[in-house]
Amino acid sequence: MALVAFFVLLVWFVAVRQAVLFAVGIGMGAALAGARLGFTTGWRQLVEDRDPRGTVGQLLLLGLAATLSMPLLASYPELQAALGPPSVSLVLGAFVFGLAMQISDGCGSGTLYKAGLGVPLNMGILPLFALGSFLGSAHLDRWLALGEVAPVSIVQSWGAGYALAGTWIALIAIGIGVRLWVGWGRQWIARRWVWGALALAVLAALNLAIAGQPWGVVYGFGLWAAKLAQATGSFDAAGNAFWSQAGNAQRLSQSLLLDVTSITNIGILGGALWIAARRREASARPLTAQQWLIGLVAGFVLGYSSRLAFGCNIGAMLSGISTGSLHGWMWMPMAFAGTLIGVRVRRRFGF
Amino acid sequence: MTIRSLSSTVFWIALVLFVAWDWSQSPPIDVRQEPPLFAAGSGQAASGGHCSLAR
Repeated sequence: MALVAFFVLLVWFVAVRQAVLFAVGIGMGAALAGARLGFTTGWRQLVEDRDPRGTVGQLLLLGLAATLSMPLLASYPELQAALGPPSVSLVLGAFVFGLAMQISDGCGSGTLYKAGLGVPLNMGILPLFALGSFLGSAHLDRWLALGEVAPVSIVQSWGAGYALAGTWIALIAIGIGVRLWVGWGRQWIARRWVWGALALAVLAALNLAIAGQPWGVVYGFGLWAAKLAQATGSFDAAGNAFWSQAGNAQRLSQSLLLDVTSITNIGILGGALWIAARRREASARPLTAQQWLIGLVAGFVLGYSSRLAFGCNIGAMLSGISTGSLHGWMWMPMAFAGTLIGVRVRRRFGF
Repeated sequence: MTIRSLSSTVFWIALVLFVAWDWSQSPPIDVRQEPPLFAAGSGQAASGGHCSLAR
């Protein structure tokens, strides 16, 4: 009921487009929470248990999203891909993000939907994720000074047809690598991942067609913390390289309800809350004080590193790869390398 | 009320208060300037913020 009321308020006081994007966000949150689509868990199960189902589900999601998004980008020049610059900050940021997401047991979308489901650690992480995202964006110019090249669009370079074929070939090659790692006799994919991947791919393409830009999570968090920092007088946006840019300064000065990423983030939280109201979650084992501290620190690091990496698993990996950005293809192996360390740290602290 | 449901309630109250505070201190929205429902086919370049933005 509250979600319907908020939708109506958005239609009446903000814009129909923002209201529809809120509904798309609700769908994303419901799909993520309903099917328990954990990017973090999928990678961890592949590393620790040689269980390929989550990872293969993610490969399917990337392929389906690319199949829907790349033709849209080729047909409508006003739509923008998620083009981040290949850079030193991207390599470092993605590695650290992949490490931290195993400790905090949630990536960008995972933190959102688990917070919406009422998981205490993820609810606690969210404000720190936002703070980290804000500080990462505020320091971004210094990280970029370490080295960057211009963003590379595979769709623009190759054309949509070849870009899509190349994407599927690369995803299938990764699938073969996964197959070699896990060995024979494994179940390849879970049914929940099939319909979850299909739903998320359609919703991601809808996000692109409606908003004109791909699905993202992290920018909205940074904007929220930047607004609070500015309101308290502890941050001068005009003197900051990132937040003084015209578009960022405008979003800082206007209602967050006009920001695309913020509105889908709120929708994802709402969609997960809707799922939580319909099913009883088993109570998780309570965390120790040390686990809480480590989890919260990891949440802050998640936010900071995701800005250095030009997105999380959604903004960089899903949106980057599905819209043909080279930075998405750099993000994935670096984050996976970080995960290899992260699963050991996670075990060390008994999560 | 369990600790989990209590913390969830506090979380949602904090989020609603934050959105309300932001709304109260932001300039009014001119609904007559609202963008078309679909950016695709509108001819208007997207101008929203995204995580992939370097600047």
